[in-house]
Amino acid sequence: MARRTSLPVTFVVPTIAILLVLSMVPTLYAIVIALQNRELSSPDYSWVWLSNFGDLFLDRRFLNAVWVSVKWEVVTVGATMIVAIGLGVLMFEVASPRLRNVYCLLFIIPVLLPRVSAAFVWKFAYHPLYGIATYPYRLITGGLIFDPLSKPSTALFAVASVDVWQWGLFFAVIVLKLLETLPPQPIEAARLDHASRWQIHAFVTLPMLKAPLISLMFIKMIESLRSFDLIYVMTRGGPGVATETLDMYAFSQGFIESGKVSYASAMAVLMMIATVITFTMLWKRVQA
Amino acid sequence: MRPGRLIGKAILALAGFLAVFPLLWTALNALKNNVDIITRVPRVVFTPTLANISYIVGRDSVLTGLYNSVIACGAAVLIGIVLGLPAAYAVARYPNRWAGDIQFFVLSLRFLPPVAVAIPLMVIWLQIGLYDTLPALIVTYSLLTISVIMWLAIPAFQGVPKEIEEAAFVDGYGAYSVFWRIALPVAARSLAGAVAFSFVLVWNEFLIALMLSSSNAKTLPIVASELSQQGMNVPWGILNASVVLLSLPPLLFLGVLSGFLNSVFRQKKT
Repeated sequence: MARRTSLPVTFVVPTIAILLVLSMVPTLYAIVIALQNRELSSPDYSWVWLSNFGDLFLDRRFLNAVWVSVKWEVVTVGATMIVAIGLGVLMFEVASPRLRNVYCLLFIIPVLLPRVSAAFVWKFAYHPLYGIATYPYRLITGGLIFDPLSKPSTALFAVASVDVWQWGLFFAVIVLKLLETLPPQPIEAARLDHASRWQIHAFVTLPMLKAPLISLMFIKMIESLRSFDLIYVMTRGGPGVATETLDMYAFSQGFIESGKVSYASAMAVLMMIATVITFTMLWKRVQA
Repeated sequence: MRPGRLIGKAILALAGFLAVFPLLWTALNALKNNVDIITRVPRVVFTPTLANISYIVGRDSVLTGLYNSVIACGAAVLIGIVLGLPAAYAVARYPNRWAGDIQFFVLSLRFLPPVAVAIPLMVIWLQIGLYDTLPALIVTYSLLTISVIMWLAIPAFQGVPKEIEEAAFVDGYGAYSVFWRIALPVAARSLAGAVAFSFVLVWNEFLIALMLSSSNAKTLPIVASELSQQGMNVPWGILNASVVLLSLPPLLFLGVLSGFLNSVFRQKKT
């Protein structure tokens, strides 16, 4: 289709130009702000160069936020993949085609919900006295109180469970569709060799799907960075700083507590550098 | 094997139940009076009330939020369609040595942490005097919609059989009319999925809207989250009703999106 036409230029150039402007202006400006000492309360500012970054590394709350973010990434990505593969394989094995369609539809619903809605739904459900999710515990223990969102040891997992509820079920649908695209011959061959169903999946089908599963994990890693809505609604980073991820801390530094926009921006710039480098390297490796 | 299958089915049924029950329960709570919600034993039988829903629908802040959300998301999706679809078509059908880089650039926009974009944009919009206005929100969301629509539309256009387009060229169609009259209609179903996905994404967006609005341009998610901060006296039923209202529009696209998923994987198979 190598025809001489102006179409590629007229179609691509304006769009890419606009995307470049829309993305580069804020990105570069974020760096500029990070090198200054702007505050929301006053219009004056001066250049402080790297001192914001220096302060960050002495800020124990920042280091805590880094740690919480890493924990969040590992827990949500890991649990999502386990749930997705487990349920995907189960659907493939025991559900009839009609039932598969029903489950696929049901499993897509949570991920479509606004994160704010999902957060509220589960915040009610986790309520220690009136929540529907804590009801079985109250029933079994005869009225003992369990408040997952306000215990530092469980809060992160309680919020993460909402993320897994949304993404794990959705990815289970994708894992099922991936399994359905596989050619049946290798599975038949393994069956003739008396491999059990779980062996077939562990040693034949899942290895065949290694590349798409890694891409799926990559997508989840990117999406897990967007934890803010859930945490903002469910715990506000609490109890204490137990669920304070980097974006939550940057937001509270920049807006809620002190209005230190530059300090917050320095944090955001570090996040940006870390994620862009990590994901560019990962992506190149996935593609290779 | 038999008991194993039974357990498997039970686990699946439980997962299916967990997928929808919390949402159904929220919808049920939206129809309850506060006395029926604040009970230690969940109440299934109660006298339903429409008070919560009529309160929500009658509130100015909610209506403004709804209006803002519809305008901001609608406009951003429209811009995404106008700019994203042609670019996706060009990348899919006229690949040159930059095609790979363009695709990676579009994807890499998703790597940007929303905070990192929202903070400088807030300062910029404040300086221009557009802070807390819908145009500022629309421009910011366009970055999202253009890149997502483009990313999803490239494979959709690649899925259009080349022969159809070749035949049109032979019939004397120009490159532009092939795009308009052949590629767009043929790929329409997958493209609708891509567009619906981008709508759901911006409709659900929270952090950027929170940072770029203070009173006039608040979108529905922001208004809903504010309802929860009315002190100790939490109006549970009202909150549940607002969650339901906020969740309805994305759920309307359930059919389109699951069809989109199916078509993506059917392509892979062939």
